[in-house]
Amino acid sequence: MSWAVRFDNVSKRYPGNNWGYPSLRGDLSRLGRSAAAWLTRRRTEPEGPIALQDISFEVKEGESFALIGPNGAGKTTTLKMLTRISFPSQGRIHVRGRIGALIEVGSGIHPELTGRENIWLYGRIMGMSKPDIARRFDEIVEFAELGHVLDRPVKRYSSGMQLRLGFSIASHIDPDIFVVDEALAVGDAGFQSKCVERMMRLVTEGRTLLFVSHHLQAVEAICKRGIFLLNGRIEAAGSVPDILKSYIAWIDNRQQERWSKIGADNPSGQIVIDRITFHDASGAERTAFRTGEDIEVRLAVRSSRPIVRPNFAVGIGDGRPGALIVCSMAVDGQVPEVIDGPSVVSCRMRGLPLMPRVYQAWCGVRGTHGYGFLLGWQMVGTFRVTEGPTNMTGVSAVSNLSTDAPIHVDHDWDVATGANAMAPALGVEERTR
Amino acid sequence: MATTAVELVIESVTRTRQVDRLRELWAFREVVLAFAERNIRLKYKQAVLGVGWAVLQPLIFLGVFVVVFGRMANVSGGATSYPAFALAALVPWFFVQTSVSFGAQALLMDGALLRKIYFPRETPVLGAVLSSGLDFAVGFALLLGLEPFLGGHLSWYVLMAIPLWLVLAVLTAGVSLLLGALNVYYRDFRYVLPVGLQLWMFASPVAYPLSTVRAQWRNLYVALNPAAGLLDGFRRALAEGRMPDLHLLAASTVAACVIAYVGYWVFKRMEPGFADVV
Repeated sequence: MSWAVRFDNVSKRYPGNNWGYPSLRGDLSRLGRSAAAWLTRRRTEPEGPIALQDISFEVKEGESFALIGPNGAGKTTTLKMLTRISFPSQGRIHVRGRIGALIEVGSGIHPELTGRENIWLYGRIMGMSKPDIARRFDEIVEFAELGHVLDRPVKRYSSGMQLRLGFSIASHIDPDIFVVDEALAVGDAGFQSKCVERMMRLVTEGRTLLFVSHHLQAVEAICKRGIFLLNGRIEAAGSVPDILKSYIAWIDNRQQERWSKIGADNPSGQIVIDRITFHDASGAERTAFRTGEDIEVRLAVRSSRPIVRPNFAVGIGDGRPGALIVCSMAVDGQVPEVIDGPSVVSCRMRGLPLMPRVYQAWCGVRGTHGYGFLLGWQMVGTFRVTEGPTNMTGVSAVSNLSTDAPIHVDHDWDVATGANAMAPALGVEERTR
Repeated sequence: MATTAVELVIESVTRTRQVDRLRELWAFREVVLAFAERNIRLKYKQAVLGVGWAVLQPLIFLGVFVVVFGRMANVSGGATSYPAFALAALVPWFFVQTSVSFGAQALLMDGALLRKIYFPRETPVLGAVLSSGLDFAVGFALLLGLEPFLGGHLSWYVLMAIPLWLVLAVLTAGVSLLLGALNVYYRDFRYVLPVGLQLWMFASPVAYPLSTVRAQWRNLYVALNPAAGLLDGFRRALAEGRMPDLHLLAASTVAACVIAYVGYWVFKRMEPGFADVV
């Protein structure tokens, strides 16, 4: 299969320094400097912030290709160069076929004009011919679900309605190569799923899709291959599950770093936690685990005087309020009689039912009778689950891991469908009668 | 579907020939028309008087000119009355003024589109110039209605207004492209523009006749300021009922085309960076 889009060592540097407006004064001084450099036969150093550095990739014809990465990584810059809105500073981009873009949809729509006028004008500006628009007008209106407000000025629309109108016009221009940037951030859930369906249809019709989104489930569902951009460079390239894994690992890393900066504060000082470590079933220290593995949370603590029956509790959370798991001596009763000086407190949890992501370990110590804190409930460390259950093959197998419910239980589905599906139920009914 | 393997190469230095650029512009003519149509619709919607301004502006200036130049400075209308003489140049002049001030701002006004959608960047500028044509048409109708009462002579030569307007449109398009491109990079042009247009008006035979310029300088004057020859042509055709001076008209046309070419060339040179700074 031949390529539809090819980036050859593309770099982009934005003009000017510090993103400011260029000024005649600045340009004149730059002109003077470059003239001086030319006279002295020296090369001038290019100025301005670098948005992309030496990017090369290929998108095959009919392929759905994802660009993922954090804000400011260069995803939008890449698409802008592809759509000839901005131009590379170095390198070449080759394109085969007509490009249609959905870059931050809706901002080109004029607020004073009605929805109808905007479809006619915006559609033509985006490259549709008048007969094209006439043919597809009803389809556009129906897709945007705006039939009832078509003759109202767009400034009276809600912002969601405006964006729906923009997406609808742009998605009906029938390009060979379809570029979508963050379009799914718009509209309600129903409209979002409609957008995904529309994109899927274009893909199955054989169009090439370049898709930029932070919506990782959508990326996983729609795209086969892609790149993970970071600071203007390609951090990972290849199949979508692979690049999603490395992107999610990067996100988790940052999360862990941020959490680890929150140091444990322990002003009361009856019990001090010196160190927290995580260990596997064999006792080896680890920071990353698999779903279903045993984990041992080991606390090295110190007390300034003997403490009778301290009720330790260890909890696991994933950043949202409340703990997912709490193992508390005050509940299970496995309390030591006394601790004094340096001690090691270990809590072994068997078959950790957690999906991959970063977790926080919390710790607190209550007094002999279970009330009053000797050590306030606080986050004391982080660990990661990096590998999920091995038998996951669904459309969101990779991306879903970082968003939805963190607890995993082994489960099976059974689905009966069609005429025979009701048979057992009917049988039961007859027997009970 | 994508069987048309037209390959497009995007790189930092675009080596497009001028002919291919014009061919692309022709392919995007629908976009120019769409911009023009949008401007006209907005003009109707946003301003209470809408196109009424196209009538009021020249009338107000006509009043001022009649008092200041006609009465106080005693400028002669030559073959016709001063009001007829002044109005015949004021209406085309207002076309120059509106189309250049709108055209030079068009890229900034449509900055949001520029950052999102590809189209040859001259299309909004040309659309702005084109939409000012409506103002001219309204002003022209006013002129046809008023000239007989003001003492002008109308004849079949009014039809010369069409070729004259076309040359004027080429000229203003060129000036708008040049200023529009500079305006994107150097925002100070926003403040320079109104002053520049005022100076241009007084440097053109709007309030005074072209005959104030000595005959031997006239060709040079028209070559430097093609609007002068065109305004004189309008005046002869619309107020005096005579054929425009073809010699001056030819000089103006050549000069207008040169300015348009230079404007377009500079615009296209600066075009790739527009979306980055707009």
